[in-house]
Amino acid sequence: MNRPLPRPSALIPYVWLGLFFAFPFLLVLRLSLSDVALAIPPYSPQIDWEKGIDGIREFLGGLDFEMYDRMRGDHLYVNAYLTSLLFAAQGTIMALLVGYPMAYAMARCRPGTRNLLLMLVILPFWTSFLIRVYAWVGILKPEGLLNAALGVIGLPPIDLLYTPASVQIGLVYSYLPFMVLPLYAVLEKMDHTLLEAASDLGAPPWRSFWQVTFPISLPGVVAGCLLCFIPMVGEFVIPDLLGGPGSLMIGRSIWTEFFSNRDWPFASAVAIALLVTLIVPILLYQRQQARALEAGR
Amino acid sequence: MKAPASPRGAQKTAGRRTNIGAVRSTFAPWNDPSAVPLVRFENVSKRFDDHVAVRDLSLDIYPGEFFALLGPSGCGKTTLMRMLAGFETPDTGRITLGGEDLAGVPPHERPVNMMFQSYALFPHLTVEQNIAFGLKQQGGLPKGEIAARVAEMLALVKLEPFARRKPDQLSGGQKQRVALARAVARKPKMLLLDEPLGALDKKLREETQFELMDLQVELGVTFLIVTHDQEEAMVMADRIAVMREGQIAQIGRPEEVYEAPASRYVAEFLGDVNLFDATVAASDHPLARLSAPEAAGGFEVMDDDCPPAGTAVTLAVRPEKMRISLDAPAADAANVMAGEIWDIGYTGDWTNYIVELPGERLIRVARANASRIVERPIGWDDKVWVTFDPDAGVVLTQ
Repeated sequence: MNRPLPRPSALIPYVWLGLFFAFPFLLVLRLSLSDVALAIPPYSPQIDWEKGIDGIREFLGGLDFEMYDRMRGDHLYVNAYLTSLLFAAQGTIMALLVGYPMAYAMARCRPGTRNLLLMLVILPFWTSFLIRVYAWVGILKPEGLLNAALGVIGLPPIDLLYTPASVQIGLVYSYLPFMVLPLYAVLEKMDHTLLEAASDLGAPPWRSFWQVTFPISLPGVVAGCLLCFIPMVGEFVIPDLLGGPGSLMIGRSIWTEFFSNRDWPFASAVAIALLVTLIVPILLYQRQQARALEAGR
Repeated sequence: MKAPASPRGAQKTAGRRTNIGAVRSTFAPWNDPSAVPLVRFENVSKRFDDHVAVRDLSLDIYPGEFFALLGPSGCGKTTLMRMLAGFETPDTGRITLGGEDLAGVPPHERPVNMMFQSYALFPHLTVEQNIAFGLKQQGGLPKGEIAARVAEMLALVKLEPFARRKPDQLSGGQKQRVALARAVARKPKMLLLDEPLGALDKKLREETQFELMDLQVELGVTFLIVTHDQEEAMVMADRIAVMREGQIAQIGRPEEVYEAPASRYVAEFLGDVNLFDATVAASDHPLARLSAPEAAGGFEVMDDDCPPAGTAVTLAVRPEKMRISLDAPAADAANVMAGEIWDIGYTGDWTNYIVELPGERLIRVARANASRIVERPIGWDDKVWVTFDPDAGVVLTQ
């Protein structure tokens, strides 16, 4: 039997990935192996195309891992990495704790209400991300909305802005839809008679949840966590706007290196290191997606 | 077991006539006044928004019975079962199980188990784990005992080789068996089966019917089955409750509800039937004489409690209890109808003749193909005479 030729449309994803992922990645990788130079663009070596093959050889000879050595030796960056991973992990867990009941309740609503709630979850995307995060400054600042509300009910004010807690709030707020949507997708699909069966077989509601609902929703939990964790690690705007000096995250360091210090090679090296760190969860996500696809057949 | 001595008044003729149907059964606790029912529905009603699902219904089910709730969709049979399982609460009335009022008892504390129409197998658990699920909920059952019970259940439904499979790797019939094993693993006082064979193909359905009956005898558990398939109910059940719009239209052994239907509805719902609008001409005990336009000589039916002369009634005669002939019977005999063959349906074991009587009235006559060779086969447009015996018909007043 002849295998049919792949249809041209099957190539689209590859062209897409090549164009928008592989090519920029190679540029950044090359940058990370270069040195800083007082030039435009601010790095060397450059390929001298006029010299032909020799030019490329010269260029390749000029590349080295100096930036990576420097990064390893600098506590600031190691700490920023660890902080980022920690913040992202905490933020993901909190988003899960907030998002799961939300998705669960949505899935149990009547279909009409469900669509409305789904719209409301997506609604914040209609406003600029930056503005939404900035709005939190107004809420969290010492004389902001939160403390005003606390004052009304007679509680002492709390100083949250520019603390790690405010970064966490920002992270959970911004990435909650990415947690809720995949969770909602699995919970909405779940057959309600399974819960009746569990209850019929003697499981009280709480145990039905842990033994039936939660295990069945695990693909959604994994998808939601990875969709939150991966971008949270590299998050830049939220720690920059809401974080204080204690919450230096790696995304912010990259920004500082690129734009303040004009150290493009070093910023690239940091970015590459971030990517390598994230490859593990990304692979996990892919494997889980593949398995979900297989189970769905 | 006691022989049916004093029939309950619910069915019109069923109790009074003996020897109804082709089955002799000695199991009849419902005729024993000292028998204690396992489940009692007492004046139970349930309404969903503006739809009344169950209307002031009372019903007793006895231990060891295989009881069928039969009716078209929307007749309330599933609601009745779900109220027993605890998934719905009755608006009014009381349900007791073994004498204990079930009101306020959540589903997970009721000693009944249900086999769901969709099977509702847990997709994330293996066959083994599905069966063990209910056992693990009973706190304090040692692991060894659970494993032994699971193995026993797997053997019961002959699924040992599939113990480690997930539900989506099983065929429809296998899933059905897992659902069954899971439901009986906890040794419930009562097993509820919601359209248990609905998703199986015909051949498998017939096999499974007998397996379910054997299983019921083997386990000694009371079975309550909900079905819209009359054959399923007739084959398996000890008693059938035919339901209509939230109420019980008739309750009785399969032979009783088939051979002595209490109303036109029951007669038409179970099997095929020819209904004739007639008027009582004379009540000549034990014969009732009826006049109807279809029969020139009138109808003569055995009936113990025929209403007085002049009452409008319906005569119900099953197609297989009618005879069809190419020869004219004696003139002005009763129960004779002359007509023409309109259509013939040959199914192998039976031949169904659709006969057109004068006035474009169609009736159905069924003949068992008892012999391979027929001397004078009946063909389309043949002039035929249809007759039946006085004990073939049932007089219905509603």
